[in-house]
Amino acid sequence: MFKHLFKLIWNKKKQNFLLMSEMLVSFLVIFAVFTLIVYYYNNYKKPIGLDYQNLWVVDYNNTYNPKSTDSLNIFYENLRQTIKSMPQVKEISFCSDNVPFFQNQWTGDVHYKNASPSSDQYTVEDSYKNTLNMKLVEGRWFNKADAVAKTQPVIINEDLKEKLFGTEEAIGKLVGSEANKNDMRVIGVIQGVKAKGDYAPPRAAIYKRTDTGSFHWLGKIMIHVTPDADAAFEGRLYKTLANYMKNSNIEIEHMPNKLKSTNLFYVVPMIVTLIVACFLVINVALGLFGVLWYNINKRRGEIGLRRAIGASGRSVSSQLVYESLILATLSLIIGTFFAVQFPLLNVFSLQASVYIVAMLLSIIFIYLLVLVCSLYPGRQAAGILPAVALHEE
Amino acid sequence: MINLQNIEKVYRTDTVETLALNKVSLEVAKGEFLSIMGPSGCGKSTLLNIIGLLDEPSKGEIRIDDQKTANLSDKQLAQFRNKKLGFIFQSYHLINDLQVLDNVELPLLYRDTTAKERKQLATEALAKVGLSNRVKHFPSQLSGGQKQRVAIARAIVGRPEIILADEPTGNLDSAMGNEIMDILIQLNQQDGTTIIMVTHDENMAKKTHRLVRLFDGSQVQ
Ligand SMILES: Nc1ncnc2c1ncn2[C@@H]1O[C@H](COP(=O)(O)OP(=O)(O)O)[C@@H](O)[C@H]1O
Ligand SMILES: [Mg+2]
Repeated sequence: MFKHLFKLIWNKKKQNFLLMSEMLVSFLVIFAVFTLIVYYYNNYKKPIGLDYQNLWVVDYNNTYNPKSTDSLNIFYENLRQTIKSMPQVKEISFCSDNVPFFQNQWTGDVHYKNASPSSDQYTVEDSYKNTLNMKLVEGRWFNKADAVAKTQPVIINEDLKEKLFGTEEAIGKLVGSEANKNDMRVIGVIQGVKAKGDYAPPRAAIYKRTDTGSFHWLGKIMIHVTPDADAAFEGRLYKTLANYMKNSNIEIEHMPNKLKSTNLFYVVPMIVTLIVACFLVINVALGLFGVLWYNINKRRGEIGLRRAIGASGRSVSSQLVYESLILATLSLIIGTFFAVQFPLLNVFSLQASVYIVAMLLSIIFIYLLVLVCSLYPGRQAAGILPAVALHEE
Repeated sequence: MINLQNIEKVYRTDTVETLALNKVSLEVAKGEFLSIMGPSGCGKSTLLNIIGLLDEPSKGEIRIDDQKTANLSDKQLAQFRNKKLGFIFQSYHLINDLQVLDNVELPLLYRDTTAKERKQLATEALAKVGLSNRVKHFPSQLSGGQKQRVAIARAIVGRPEIILADEPTGNLDSAMGNEIMDILIQLNQQDGTTIIMVTHDENMAKKTHRLVRLFDGSQVQ
């Protein structure tokens, strides 16, 4: 019977062409949508790499310019002590302006042998890791002794490690801010932070330790607060900061809120894509349904004949369903050929597994769609009275 | 072989009720060649459909081979038609997208056969109707007479005991009609196939063993 149906489909290839192209196009669209969903989902599942729940960010700009760097350092150390002495403050850390979930982004290449991946560059204090509750994977975090190290110690995240060293050991390796310079030594590897929110992967990142002159240009204070830190405390904190740093623009933001707004950059296009895809799928489903329905009405004579020579109602309806599924299979073979090019040619530098999962999901989706769209017309066909159908021509 | 008792068939639509068959009783013996005549709309096709188990009578009973058919399921009816009956229609009802050989093989697809058996049986059936040289043609490449011969090959490929032919020569000129008639007579005489044929043509009817006339749904003689 299979061979028979195949022959029938093959001999009608012209009529089936339209239906097949429709299935092919919907497969490709669905594939694109699923690729996006799977990619987002994979990213979503990865750990975010920091504890943002009770994390606040103070945005400020240094307006204090004393003659000596020492005075500047004393100025900010005093501020640190003042804030840290507040009971709601667990940990505090000054850092460069590029903070996770903010638009600000500093990038530069990191060199090791022939690799020079672009990487986010953070300048942080010793207290940064504990303020953000970041997870150390290998080696150690910065400490005071690093101030006198001969080669500048740096910490990289897992993603940069993978790009620079692959599976090789990272700790102790020398890397360069320029090619062949080898001016930095890797002392630790931390878990990647998803700085662009839940739906984007962690980016390669390198962390450098602040030095004595850093307060000239640092622009953010991360504060880990206790869960009972409320609006009243926030008001007090703001006043303290504003009084201390006259002429500076102070802004306090909460990391959970920043995360939400960062996520929107990904969620909104996703929703738009989904809506468009939904419309498309509904269109395709209606088209498919219509074409199958039309085919069945055009084939009433054939259906009557098949009933007369020994087909039961059920075998007529399953024949029609099988035919659609064979058509779907042919379209999916062609579609898969196109889809497979994405991982093979590494078009958007996504992991191959993302494409493969998306492909499987799309195949299942199209089969289900075709099945659902052909079940009802198939049942209708089973109900055609052979005596009537044979009489019509 | 075939036994009809007081068959009635009423077609109901929303507005009208048509009595297509009225108390028809008929006994057809094994190996008989029976023709049915009557004016258009008198119920000939309806009668043939009921004998062919394509339609149910509103009243009355049909037995084929002493077997009651009223309580058979859809699947059993389909099997019954497949094994026992062969159909020939005025408008051939060939599947235009299939080659002649595939058209002839069709009934065998609904029973347990291998591709090889199907091919062999279909080739034999086509030889019987003299179409061995048109195996790979599509129906659109054949004349009316040739199409009807393909339809006959399809009807006999499963070696049924009974052939039901509804105006098989109705669309053909008399020369081609005679050819078809000769094939049917040969099937009846050589293979002992029971044939019931609806026709408009007195000359064709004369060549059969017995003639039943219908008028307005009732048997006339
Ligand atoms: N499916 C049907 N629904 C309603 N009326 C029908 C149907 N089939 C046949 N008839 C009516 O039954 C009568 C007999 O039809 P039919 O058996 O086709 O006549 P014949 O074959 O002798 O020309 C006609 O009046 C026809 O209109
Ligand atoms: Mg008729």
